[in-house]
Amino acid sequence: MATIEAQHLTKHFGHVVAVDDLSFSVQAGTVTGFLGPNGAGKTTTLRMLLGLVRPSSGRALVNGTRYEELPDPERTVGAVLESSGFHPARTARNHLRAIAMVAGIGSARVDEVLELVGLSADARRPVGGYSMGMRQRLELARALLGDPQVLILDEPANGLDPQGIAWIRNFLRWFAAQGRLVLISSHLLAEAAQTVDDVIVLNHGRMVGHGNLAELRERATTTVRVRTPDAERLVQALSQAGIQARQQAGDVVEASATTVEAVGRLMADKGLVVLEMTASGESLEELFFQMTSGGPSTGGMAAVSSSGPRSMPEAPS
Amino acid sequence: MSRLLRSEVFKLRTVWSTWLLVGLTAVLIAGLSALVGYVPHRHAINFPAKGTASWFDLLFSVMGLCVDLALVLGAIMITSEFRHKTVTPTFLAEPRRGRMAAAKLIVALGGGLALAVVAGVVGLVYGFASVATGVGGLANIGTMLTEFRHVWPGLAAAAVLYGAYGVGLGALLKNQVVTIVVALVALAVVEPIVGSAVPSVGRWLPGYAAQALESVAASARMHAAFGATSSVHLLVWWAGALVIIGYGVLLAALGSFTTLRADVT
Repeated sequence: MATIEAQHLTKHFGHVVAVDDLSFSVQAGTVTGFLGPNGAGKTTTLRMLLGLVRPSSGRALVNGTRYEELPDPERTVGAVLESSGFHPARTARNHLRAIAMVAGIGSARVDEVLELVGLSADARRPVGGYSMGMRQRLELARALLGDPQVLILDEPANGLDPQGIAWIRNFLRWFAAQGRLVLISSHLLAEAAQTVDDVIVLNHGRMVGHGNLAELRERATTTVRVRTPDAERLVQALSQAGIQARQQAGDVVEASATTVEAVGRLMADKGLVVLEMTASGESLEELFFQMTSGGPSTGGMAAVSSSGPRSMPEAPS
Repeated sequence: MSRLLRSEVFKLRTVWSTWLLVGLTAVLIAGLSALVGYVPHRHAINFPAKGTASWFDLLFSVMGLCVDLALVLGAIMITSEFRHKTVTPTFLAEPRRGRMAAAKLIVALGGGLALAVVAGVVGLVYGFASVATGVGGLANIGTMLTEFRHVWPGLAAAAVLYGAYGVGLGALLKNQVVTIVVALVALAVVEPIVGSAVPSVGRWLPGYAAQALESVAASARMHAAFGATSSVHLLVWWAGALVIIGYGVLLAALGSFTTLRADVT
């Protein structure tokens, strides 16, 4: 079974620490979301996994091996990368054929993947005239050339229209359901949440959360808003109780990752006046913000496998 | 390795810039050959009389342009990967970057040879045409072919090696325009200056090394014809070849430790 693993992975660009002592592992049969705001170190990590960027320290492994040492990289890992390029004068088909040749893959497979991503009709046109969405699909076709066991995608939704995004989503589910591994980065949680089983959340190059998305959703506790004349004392009391809280406009305190009950009891204990208390059902988005705005911490959860197999999605027309 | 070589040849075949270089080789050499054929014999500038061995030397020396174009071809082979960011899929398919560079070096040798063959064909067509159209008559075919045999092999060898030299330079400099400009300015401007100022150093430069190869037999006579234009005492031909190979390999090795080793972001 395919695996992806980072062991104390660190990358410095000059003084900037892009990835900081990152360790995780991803198992086959799941779609794992690699989430975090722009600049969190997602792309750098993916590029280290693919042998394109050299780690400053630590190791990035695919199937227990460095990418450079994979006996047949094209048949092991497929990668969709944002900054990957095309010679504008070369046709899509020839672009793929040149790469397929290196891996000993025939033209029949080239035509197959072009068909799969819905580019057959434009296959013999120079890529220079391609739209961004077409380029993205060509990039996916390239990743699939070797029918790999692992698929790594860096922001695959960029440049795609809604149909294209829906298609990719279905495709990735289908791919993972075959017992293969998908690692997909995104800075848009809402987008990723519809696709992924597990998440790894990065911020400032460090892992700030990981686990099964469904479990994470359950763990996503409510935010409690309290209107009280004793705002400052409440914030202090909540902080002492280990509950994250901040004073909003004037007399409003917002406590996150807690429950109405917990806040209510605390206020009763301290003898604080409540003018109004509301609990907002927290979205995953808010949880994501929480994770990526605070300091590094790790929520440990086991990775769980995905749903059953689905039929192969049709390519967008 | 054979797959890598096939892929590199395929990449060359599938972009128009390669065919533009092939076309340029043919058109430029055809044009300059026509010019040589057009200029009348003048004693004042030592322009050789038509149909003489020196005249054929001059006619065929025009083919030497393919050497510079081979350099451009080699440079484009590697720098276009960076320019169009195809280096990412290339390295994904072959993460052992040294092997990729080696494949390009080898294919560039072949590319240089291909341009030399184009140059040779055009040169021969002009050779035969000039004989057929009455330059000295058919009796001169022997002289023409002898001079071609003197000139072409050296040019071809220089073109072959210059292809690899271009790859090496491109691997080091990375930027396409910079590589081509540096290469051509070095050849056309810097080397002649160094050559005339410090001839003992000049002979070790790639341009003079190529001249050493090109003038296996011919240009001694040509230089005599033009009144010894160069003060540089050229290396023997095989030393010239080794010098060019040395530049190619040295630059590619330097590039392997800098450009090719660098992170691809």
